[in-house]
Amino acid sequence: MHMHKLEKIWLIFGISCLVIFLTVVGVSAFYLGNKPPSCLTTVNPETVGQEKPFNEPGLHKVDGKAWDYELVYVASAFSYTPAQVEVPLGAKVKVIATTKDVIHGFEVAGTNINMMLEPGYISEYTTTFDKAGEFLIVCNEYCGAGHHLMFSKIEVVK
Amino acid sequence: MAKTVLKTNQKTEMEDRSSLKGTLASVFFLGIFIIVTWVSVYYLFVDRF
Repeated sequence: MHMHKLEKIWLIFGISCLVIFLTVVGVSAFYLGNKPPSCLTTVNPETVGQEKPFNEPGLHKVDGKAWDYELVYVASAFSYTPAQVEVPLGAKVKVIATTKDVIHGFEVAGTNINMMLEPGYISEYTTTFDKAGEFLIVCNEYCGAGHHLMFSKIEVVK
Repeated sequence: MAKTVLKTNQKTEMEDRSSLKGTLASVFFLGIFIIVTWVSVYYLFVDRF
């Protein structure tokens, strides 16, 4: 098959870009174990308040796990429980969240923690809080009349 | 009577249609734009916790 020399150049360029981008995504998923925050772990939304770990929202120290703390949130129209939390700097934290009623968002502004909270499902994200400061959690899924008032705060302290 | 003759010795100027330099330039322009935006978003992702 005859192919123009320049055509070969851009085909090689395009295909190698595709290969590199897909390799990065593949390494992230299969080697580093990154996955969507909601991975089919379920909970009954009507009894969320009585079930572990959602009966005690907040920061808990854990032992014998790959992370040091578990930060549990329950979202409902139009607030998060807890409303404010202090996390020590450098702590590896698993953020576990769910909702009692409708779909809510869970975005820690300025970080990679950005999850959708669906009733009946548990969303999780594990990360190391390595920057000190105050971080705002906002709802980024329209959930009703009080959507814009829905927020919480994380303080990363030394 | 004048005979109609087809002029055969006249050269027709034709642009070289096989040149793909412009296409190559636009492909690389777009490709580099995609790479720059991809890398900057990836850096943002890696830099944040």
